[in-house]
Amino acid sequence: MVNSRQFLTGSEVFVRAAIDSGAGFMFGYPITPASEILSGWINSGKKYLQTEDEIAAGFALCGAVLGGEKAFTATSGPGNILMQDGLSMAEGMRLPFVMVAAQRGGPSSGTVIYSQQEVILSCFGGNGEGMRFVYSPSNLSELYKFTRKAFNDAWHYRFPAIILTDGYLLKTKGVIDFAKIGEIKNISPRALVPKDSVVHWPNIYTFEEELYQEIKLAKDDFEKVAEDIADCESYQTDKADILLVAHGIVGAAAKEAVDELRKKGINAGLFRPITLRPLARKKLDKIAGQESVKKIVVVESSLGQLARIIRDQIAPEICAEFAYMQYPGLGIETEAIVDFVAGLRVVSGEI
Amino acid sequence: MLIKILIAGDGGQGVQTISDIICQAAFENGFFVNHIPNYGLEQRGGVSLSYITIGDKEITYPKFSMPDILVVLSKQADNRTKQYQKESVKMLNIEDYKKDLEKQSVKPQNYNIFFLGLLAKILVEKKICGEDCVLKLLEKKFGKKENWEEKKNVFELSLNYV
Repeated sequence: MVNSRQFLTGSEVFVRAAIDSGAGFMFGYPITPASEILSGWINSGKKYLQTEDEIAAGFALCGAVLGGEKAFTATSGPGNILMQDGLSMAEGMRLPFVMVAAQRGGPSSGTVIYSQQEVILSCFGGNGEGMRFVYSPSNLSELYKFTRKAFNDAWHYRFPAIILTDGYLLKTKGVIDFAKIGEIKNISPRALVPKDSVVHWPNIYTFEEELYQEIKLAKDDFEKVAEDIADCESYQTDKADILLVAHGIVGAAAKEAVDELRKKGINAGLFRPITLRPLARKKLDKIAGQESVKKIVVVESSLGQLARIIRDQIAPEICAEFAYMQYPGLGIETEAIVDFVAGLRVVSGEI
Repeated sequence: MLIKILIAGDGGQGVQTISDIICQAAFENGFFVNHIPNYGLEQRGGVSLSYITIGDKEITYPKFSMPDILVVLSKQADNRTKQYQKESVKMLNIEDYKKDLEKQSVKPQNYNIFFLGLLAKILVEKKICGEDCVLKLLEKKFGKKENWEEKKNVFELSLNYV
């Protein structure tokens, strides 16, 4: 029997999740920190195509899923920009396009390991106004679970699904216990264009009204399932004074910060969106709308990309003040969050 | 229990190799381990850093702002890690051992093994792993190489180093 407790990198966990999801094909072009996904996939013996660039990988993936192949791609930074071309087509045609975005620093080539600067690009990067699911796991176990879920949601609801990660999560080697995750059933793929059949399936329209109808249909479908897809972690939020909001690996640091702040007598809690699109709006409003909440502190390794989403989605009548801790392209450790929040309280004269 | 170790050296000095062994030894002994290799572009001559966290509870965030133990394998790494060189941090710095190692004819390419031994000694004291387990993993990595005896001797030298 294989020991369920294993010591693996994030990339290894992702590859295993993709295999367990029944994926059979990867299209991609190597780029740090996503390269180990491509090399790990190749080493697993599964089918792959290393294309000339990310644009080709994206459209090859669109073609493969049309033929009923459960397939995916992985990219990062400048590659994520190019991938938006194929992703936009997948949004327009409602294709189950699954992608891992491994955030690195930018603009341009920036740094090679870490940032949270691809949030807006990953959530809203296409032209027009397509719909997609974006999951932001904070640890190896969530990376496994939400990769499995991304494949299932993409094929079940027929929207592109992105697993948003970073080089810390993918390159970190840590302990994961598969026995604790439990069984996840796969949604079977089906050929969207059956073999030997001719289907007229446009991704361009002659009349504005036609496109309008398509966008409206996609929006309605998305909104119908948004509540089921939307996921978050709420930690120590009941009657909290200070509400931290953070996602991904920074969300993990923020969770530790909540414990440390509480030891100092600061009544902090954490709202950690697991899906960035759709956002768990109802839960956010319920937590942030508590009378006790005096301040909402958005913590992120970017210049306010998560903050933009939160401010856009939160109910307008919620009147707690916002504060922002922004380290663009830089990791944020627990201690830094604790100091920042404790500093806020001193400035506002609360302690 | 949570112990944070930062190992720093030049790219190619074997920082990641000894990190892998330490982490595997702690993992095999039932501990939670997180290892983040911070290898940006040091294959081109920069400093290779390795952040290791070992705990008896699940570790939520892989990086830390201050280690408990700092291992420094080169002058360049010494400069790069000045921010961590505080009184509260236990330092294992090549500068403090270099003369002794030269006297004992330890080759620079085995300095990492020497520090692996020093680290193993600390982890054994903290009951995180056994010396045997570390030696076994070291043998798994280098046992079939020509210079295995040499590496083994350096490891044993470091375990008994006072």
